Amino acid sequence: MDKEIKKGKEHPLSIVINEAVKIFTDLGFEVATGPELEDVWHNFDALNVPKDHPARDMQDTFFIKNRPEYVLRTHTSNTQIHFMEKFAKEGKKPPFAIVVPGKVFRNESTDAGHEMQFYQLEGLMIGKDINVANMKWVLLEFFKRFLGENTEIRLRPSFFPFVEPGFEVDVKYDGKWMELLGAGMVHPNVLKNCGIDFEKYQGFAFGFGLDRLARIKFNISDIRFFYQGDLRLNQF
Amino acid sequence: MKISYNWLQNYFEEELPEIEKISEGIIFHSFEVESIEKAGNDTVFDIKVLPDRAHDCLSHWGIAKEISAIFNLKIKEKKYKIFEPKPTKLEIKIEDNRCLRYMGRVVKNVKVGESPKWLKEKLNAIGQKSINNIIDAANFIMFDLGQPIHCFDLDKLESQKIIIRNSTTGESIDLLGSEKIGNLVKTRSILLKSNDLIIADEKNPLAIAGIKGGTKAEVDSNTKNIVIEVANFNSIAIRKTSKQFNIFTEAVKRYENEISPELCEKTMNAITDLIWELNEVEVEEIIDIYPTKAEQKEVSVSVDYINKHLGTSFLKEEIEGVWKRLNFEFSKSVNEFKIKVPYLRIDISGPHDLVEEVGRILGYEKISPQIPKINFKPKINETFYKILWARNKLLNDGYSEIMTYAFCNTGEVEVLSSASDKKFLRTNLSDGLKESLKLNQLNAPLLEMEQIKIFEIGTVFLKDKEEMHVAYGDKKGVKEMNLENFFHKNSSSEEHGYFSAEKFLVLAPSRSQVSSEENSYSRNFKPWSIYPFITRDVAVWVPKGESSEELKKLLKNNATELLVREPYIFDSFTKDGKTSYAFRLIFQSYEKTLTDDEVNIIMTKISHKIRENSRWELR
Repeated sequence: MDKEIKKGKEHPLSIVINEAVKIFTDLGFEVATGPELEDVWHNFDALNVPKDHPARDMQDTFFIKNRPEYVLRTHTSNTQIHFMEKFAKEGKKPPFAIVVPGKVFRNESTDAGHEMQFYQLEGLMIGKDINVANMKWVLLEFFKRFLGENTEIRLRPSFFPFVEPGFEVDVKYDGKWMELLGAGMVHPNVLKNCGIDFEKYQGFAFGFGLDRLARIKFNISDIRFFYQGDLRLNQF
Repeated sequence: MKISYNWLQNYFEEELPEIEKISEGIIFHSFEVESIEKAGNDTVFDIKVLPDRAHDCLSHWGIAKEISAIFNLKIKEKKYKIFEPKPTKLEIKIEDNRCLRYMGRVVKNVKVGESPKWLKEKLNAIGQKSINNIIDAANFIMFDLGQPIHCFDLDKLESQKIIIRNSTTGESIDLLGSEKIGNLVKTRSILLKSNDLIIADEKNPLAIAGIKGGTKAEVDSNTKNIVIEVANFNSIAIRKTSKQFNIFTEAVKRYENEISPELCEKTMNAITDLIWELNEVEVEEIIDIYPTKAEQKEVSVSVDYINKHLGTSFLKEEIEGVWKRLNFEFSKSVNEFKIKVPYLRIDISGPHDLVEEVGRILGYEKISPQIPKINFKPKINETFYKILWARNKLLNDGYSEIMTYAFCNTGEVEVLSSASDKKFLRTNLSDGLKESLKLNQLNAPLLEMEQIKIFEIGTVFLKDKEEMHVAYGDKKGVKEMNLENFFHKNSSSEEHGYFSAEKFLVLAPSRSQVSSEENSYSRNFKPWSIYPFITRDVAVWVPKGESSEELKKLLKNNATELLVREPYIFDSFTKDGKTSYAFRLIFQSYEKTLTDDEVNIIMTKISHKIRENSRWELR
């Protein structure tokens, strides 16, 4: 009898992560990875998040027992800091462009749209004159390749401590505008904190939820399906 | 924050653009508008003021200034009456540096009563209850200018002296307003700690500074003379105290976000004016204690800097126009502007902040996408590609991928508090994998798989480190190891040796690289039913050589929409010139738990249909 093994089925999130990463690597980004259990310097301080910022409250962040300076990372932005610190320490000079796919944690009650753990993809591009127009090109290009050629994007003012100006990025897919990303020009304090000359170099950063993207792509109604270990999820 | 359209209109001579236009302008140049609602003959916007603009925009004035800049409409600045104030006996003493400024003014001969119609309407429109004319006036000015105000009954104070100081342990205060506890309506009494900033007379606390007033000097219908407080406190101190007592007032919302102490003066003028308008009162001099005057910041920015960051080619004149629309004072040299930052714009401290002002006021839609002119040379990230490699290896070996929660009931690392009952981080993937095996084993008839084989790749948390693990298994057992070991154990010496960028990419292709039909999965997810399924088997003799297709079609056509997956053959054999096909049918409802009776009716119908075919014979 034919002993050929039938291929296993991939988790939908892996499909989305791989496809997103593939598009970004094709655009010149390299992948960076970082720890999920993180110190407050990399998760907050270096990212220009003030000490008394509400995001640092217990309700939103998982703090580690008996290790007051450690948290479960609340975003993949910690990896920006690790990457740039190492980069500067090794005496390298920009340009560089990285994407960081990874798991992040938020201490909040769960519902169809919220989970305590989910995946994010963070992007960072730094050079001598990397600007908002470049950011717009990269994001538009990504979403066109990911969701389809007639996808549109638009920027709205927003605020995140680690960028200035900061944006909310809406994506038009299937005739509907959806708020999908946070983005902005990296705040000079963040570059300074990592030892990158902020008077010479500049660039943008962005981040979005991969679970959300997977839900849109596959039309999955509830984020909680992703972490049940139920193979009925693996339909694609 | 709730913002009334009519209220905004008072700031402009010209008629404001229509509601939709205003909303769109705010959304694309300032803040999100969460809702727009009719309120009588007024319209109310619920505006989500960004955290960095809570310094100056939690007010109608703040939003009016935004609208003025966005639509290039001139704002009419109010002129306040010039009083000839009477000398005052009021004394103010700041004993704690968390009070940054304290302005007090005595106003005599007030008549506390109902508010005029216009005032009630304005407050009602933004969801505020009218209390009496004095309190309403104070609230109105706060929602107008963004500066909290408090009024005390002067005659209820021990003397005409107000002290801003630290509380001492054992002091307590009865708060204004009442709260419902069960069926009881009670005044809330607060026992102060040793480090809470309070406003006091010579004997008792009168208010928790910047948070809430107490009953001792409450303004009531008999009040004749009042002290108006317009003050500024340290934002962090306010946030801490309010959290500690769980009191979140409109005043807290403004103070905790830090407002400029420079706002006090305008506010004192505005509130005095309004109270005077309501009933002609006797106004005394202002006592103003302002230990360290706020400094006005100056920020320089060049046209080049702005264009280099936005990727635009805005002209000097266009940029200058932005400063004018924002009412910024500035001076200019050949290619540079020096901006005198308005006191209230605490968010602006460097040129990058001015880049944002230019971008958002001129409009982000004016920035056209530009390809970055850099030839990046990306490196391969080992961890990520080893994960990719491991995943592909296991998929090819017939394992399906699962992801489970990082949280569990026991472990080596614990989180301090959690919204869930699982407070530990997993030390292995195997436990989750075994649970998943059990679950999927039960669902096996629903899954189009011959055998349940699963894997997970994920982080585990040990006492001093986190590690990327790979676990895989089936009913015979589960194996787990770290990613590195998995890679070394399973990769060939060639894959090992040639662990170089390009080579490795080829060895570990991502799905979109291997899949011939790249968009084969662009279809909709089918959610599953939470109700149990029922299995029924049906075996039929058919003449030898006849395929099972026709039988399968009959089953499919008669099994109703309760059939959740294709009928499949689980057994077949040939004997005495006949072939037996045994099909399995799985029934499940999305709405309820199916009963045997319901399924039996379907099976009876199917049996009838099979018997109608003379070549077939039910086993």
